[in-house]
Amino acid sequence: MHNAGSNAILSKIFLKNVLSNRLFVAIVAVFLLFVFGEIIFPGFMSFTHIVSVLRLSVFLGIVALGQALVVISGGIDLSVGSLLSLGVVFSAYFLRGENINIPETLVIVPLIGFTIGLISGVGISYIGIPPLIMTLAMASVIGGTSLIITKGFPTGNAPPLLETIGSGKIFNIPYLILLWGVIIAIVTLILKRTKWGNILYGVGANSLTAELSGINTKRFRMYIYGICGAISAFAGLLLLSYTGTPYLNLGAPYIMPSIAAVVIGGVSLAGGSGDYLGVATGCIFLTILTSILVALQTTEAVRQIVYGSLILILVVAHARRGRE
Amino acid sequence: MNIKRGLKEIYQNPSLPSFLILVGIITVNAILQPTFFTYRAFKLNFLTFTPLILVSIAQAIIIIVGGVDLSIGASISLLTVLMASIMKDSFSSIILTVVCAFGLALLISLFNGFFISYIEAPPLLVTYGTWIILFGIALFIMPTPGGHIPKPFYQAYRGDVLHIIPVPVLILIIALLIWFVISKLRIYKHIYAVGGNAEAARASGINVSLTKLKAFLLSGIFVALAAVCVVSQTATGDARCGLGYTLNSVAASIIGGISFSGGKGSVAGAMMGGLILGLLVNVLYFANITSFYQEFMKGLILVVSLTIGVIPKLRGERSTV
Repeated sequence: MHNAGSNAILSKIFLKNVLSNRLFVAIVAVFLLFVFGEIIFPGFMSFTHIVSVLRLSVFLGIVALGQALVVISGGIDLSVGSLLSLGVVFSAYFLRGENINIPETLVIVPLIGFTIGLISGVGISYIGIPPLIMTLAMASVIGGTSLIITKGFPTGNAPPLLETIGSGKIFNIPYLILLWGVIIAIVTLILKRTKWGNILYGVGANSLTAELSGINTKRFRMYIYGICGAISAFAGLLLLSYTGTPYLNLGAPYIMPSIAAVVIGGVSLAGGSGDYLGVATGCIFLTILTSILVALQTTEAVRQIVYGSLILILVVAHARRGRE
Repeated sequence: MNIKRGLKEIYQNPSLPSFLILVGIITVNAILQPTFFTYRAFKLNFLTFTPLILVSIAQAIIIIVGGVDLSIGASISLLTVLMASIMKDSFSSIILTVVCAFGLALLISLFNGFFISYIEAPPLLVTYGTWIILFGIALFIMPTPGGHIPKPFYQAYRGDVLHIIPVPVLILIIALLIWFVISKLRIYKHIYAVGGNAEAARASGINVSLTKLKAFLLSGIFVALAAVCVVSQTATGDARCGLGYTLNSVAASIIGGISFSGGKGSVAGAMMGGLILGLLVNVLYFANITSFYQEFMKGLILVVSLTIGVIPKLRGERSTV
């Protein structure tokens, strides 16, 4: 009797531990969503469809990387979408369809994103404007910049080499997915094994402690927004490699999912915790969700309602956990 | 000595910078628009300024109680969509529709207020979620702008009272009166107490959650009023028409001297902030800036005014140390 009782307690503890592991929950959610898709649309779990979903997740994955770094440091960035749009426009503008322009574009475009992100960072760190408000305002400045540069009609296009990277495959696996895999590995190493990663978690978890241990937290936070800007602009470059020709406002659909993916992936919105592998899983989850919603022929309106409810549910669940 | 103290008080007033900006922007406006001081221009200006000023009041209440409401813009969109889709030509239908709009606004406030006060979820994220949901619902009801607004309804907004007061100005006066009445009630002090220091307020026996919920409901009244003005101004329901008000109302509040940490500033300051933003857009228009530059300029104005708005706060913080 006694033995059975303690076994029950042990299994309960085990269950609780597994359920509180957000990465595990996210992976299970991804699997369930795939199964759900397969039930409604036979063929949803076929190799080609899984690969195409993964490839679509890459762009969200890159944007969410920038967002995750900002959120871990204790902030939030709503300008990632407009930065991605600007990245698309600038990439096309500098590339002009020539392979030879790729190296300079690879430097200039992230640098532009970095500079713009730095402006947000200065406003947030040194002037004291709340991150959500500052980046929302910057989003309209950046969107306006795209309009001014293009006069409404973006020019230029992706050169052949970039298009190969964007749509090419090796052993039936798209280059983009391989690239993402490498990025996931590198980022995970940086976050978990380097001093910089330690500082990032420290700044997010407890600014004061980090400050007392000699870190310039204001400057660190400012640079995080710069890095997020550079990553978002780079995502624009990647997206151009996929679409071939630039359009305005390609980034708008990425703003909300980037935040949702970060939260689903187990990053605390209060900062200081989480990892990129979870965020990447969150990105895949959202991409499957979108793909199911699109296949069900839902309108933009319904998708917005689903996303909004998802964010609300996550925020509420998080608030409850925080109080416990 | 008295003069010195008086000057010091003026210097430390949180609304001083916004008042100076207001005087400056009126001067620039008067130079660019020769007819600025005529009754016609006055009336036309307030037709467009009134909604933002009302939304700024709504936002100011929430910021003072220590929150922020990002769903305000989407609420306005949804309310215009609702009104444009159910309003008929009869007088009773118009009244009923407006009552419905106020009811829905209060329901949205209740929803936001519940999650923020009783679940204790962060206001920024809760209202971000509701923003997206409300926008989705508005888009669901009306994918493209349209609907029907009876002529007598939207013409009433363009009318005058006694030939000297335009209706939008009258609405602002009514809003001020409502706020004046509120400021005499106990809830007014509670809102400032909770926004300033929730723990201290709780210790002195104030029901913090209920105060926050009430603040959201009060704010909802002004959101509904603003939506009525927006729908009369445009005479259509549009799921996107309100989205710009969110950021503008936050900026207006901050320009008006309201501290983002809560408990400080006045609703009158936020109204002044809303007026300043309206006049700035006017200046852009009369300065003949091409449409491609307008979005950029509006964003830039927001960033600059947020920066300026935060400066007096910095000054205040330093003086206390």
